[in-house]
Amino acid sequence: MNQIASQNAPSPKVVVPHFIFGALTWLMVTILIIFHPEAFTQHYFNAELLAITHLLVLGWITMIIFGALYQLLPVIMEVKLYSETLAKISFLLMAIGTILLSLAFWHFSFGPLMFIAGISIVISVSLFVANALLTAHSSNKNVIERTFIVSSVIWLLFTVLAGLTLAINLSHPFLKVSHVELLKLHAHAGLVGWFVQLIIGVSSKLLPMFMVSHHVNTKKLNFSFYTINIGLPIGIIALYLQYKIGVVFSAIMVVAGIVGYLSFLLASYKKRVKKQLDIGMKQSALSFVFLVIPLFLIFTLLLNIDFLNRLTLPLSVAYGSAIVIGFITSLVMGQTYKTLPFIVWLKVYQGKVGKVILPLPKDLYSEKLAIAQVWLFAIGFGFLLIGISTTNTTLVMVSGILLLLSVAFYNLNILKIVLHKPTNE
Amino acid sequence: MNNCVMDTEEMKILEMLKKVIDPELMVNIIDLGLVYGATFDAAGRQIDVALTLTSPGCPMGGIIIEDAQQTLESNYPGFNVNINLVWEPAWSIERLSAKGKAELGFS
Repeated sequence: MNQIASQNAPSPKVVVPHFIFGALTWLMVTILIIFHPEAFTQHYFNAELLAITHLLVLGWITMIIFGALYQLLPVIMEVKLYSETLAKISFLLMAIGTILLSLAFWHFSFGPLMFIAGISIVISVSLFVANALLTAHSSNKNVIERTFIVSSVIWLLFTVLAGLTLAINLSHPFLKVSHVELLKLHAHAGLVGWFVQLIIGVSSKLLPMFMVSHHVNTKKLNFSFYTINIGLPIGIIALYLQYKIGVVFSAIMVVAGIVGYLSFLLASYKKRVKKQLDIGMKQSALSFVFLVIPLFLIFTLLLNIDFLNRLTLPLSVAYGSAIVIGFITSLVMGQTYKTLPFIVWLKVYQGKVGKVILPLPKDLYSEKLAIAQVWLFAIGFGFLLIGISTTNTTLVMVSGILLLLSVAFYNLNILKIVLHKPTNE
Repeated sequence: MNNCVMDTEEMKILEMLKKVIDPELMVNIIDLGLVYGATFDAAGRQIDVALTLTSPGCPMGGIIIEDAQQTLESNYPGFNVNINLVWEPAWSIERLSAKGKAELGFS
């Protein structure tokens, strides 16, 4: 008899702190957007935006992904997590590193504080990567999802090492390439190599499972894997060598890979047994709609269209925001409702069936709050994109208020889930 | 005990298992077609149920099995209840009952 996935689940003490830290960081970011909207209407290499971006990508998204992966790796690989202790140490180092790094960026201080933060994050990521690779190594499931996850964690390590190199280069310049170009390289390694690949690896297993879609052909995912992993290194090298045609070729390859993945998701959606999508899946679906925006913007930016020249900088910020907030944040918020309630529900009710009233995982959160959260998010993100593109700080501030309300509802639901207690029969 | 009584008892077991809900799909495991069969041995005081899941990775598997086990044990005190997890044949959409399809939103 096969071992069932829930027997491999790690302790919620490993997973839940990641969700709490992540949700509070996202809340903090929305407050920063309200009080510092100008961060989004200047050149993207500004102190506030660098601080906000790192809070978002490390403190919010990466943190939640780490926590979710400790729960999901055993589901995807059908083995236990290699080490819970490594996971706890990695969490602490990532939390400390993110706070220090954001402070360093906020004060535009590239001295010892940034170096300590960078080292802390590199060690945290190294521990996470070791844990993920050793877990994958103990699995005999040689499937495309596993390949994507393994590749993504290696790209994560590359990204943080590149980030540390950039931090050193800021205080002791030794690289000949402009810092802005190096920043693009670092950002795309993280956005595409880490986030997009990780999302493809995890979602191509989980979304068909949540929708109960069977017999979906995974050949498109193989195509995505090769186009992304050939296209991205070409783009990184081309950015470093300032070779524009290489960058364009890389963008075409990566976008083709993402389209292949979206096509796989569409096929899964069409074959789904569960016809009605719950609120978590609806926000996830919305995130894939938002993903179309940066796919268009990247070519708009690369083609240097004359009449858009004066918009290059705002559109660059819009491009990054559309990926980080529009796509990834929306997906993470949606998928929180597909993971956290189940993690807590399993912890609370496993072994107690028949002794307590057994609710459904969806009863652990308020659906009304979740629906309000999705609407506020969608409208807030729309305002943010328009505000950035028109360099209108008032619109950006309004978007911050809407996003703050959205994330406040999200946080209330997270609290409701993690504080859930069983009711005796 | 004759076959007719056994069949009745097995049908009762399947009816009882309708109380066990898949927490993700919110449909009971009988209408989902997750139960491949049940045998009732009155003399040996033994009940065997063959159960599958919609996916081998299903994180809800443990709770579904526990719920099925608990449901039968509380209805048949003193019986040994065995829930056997099986993967062959793999579950497919054809196993859904008409009620299951309706609850999942099939037109």
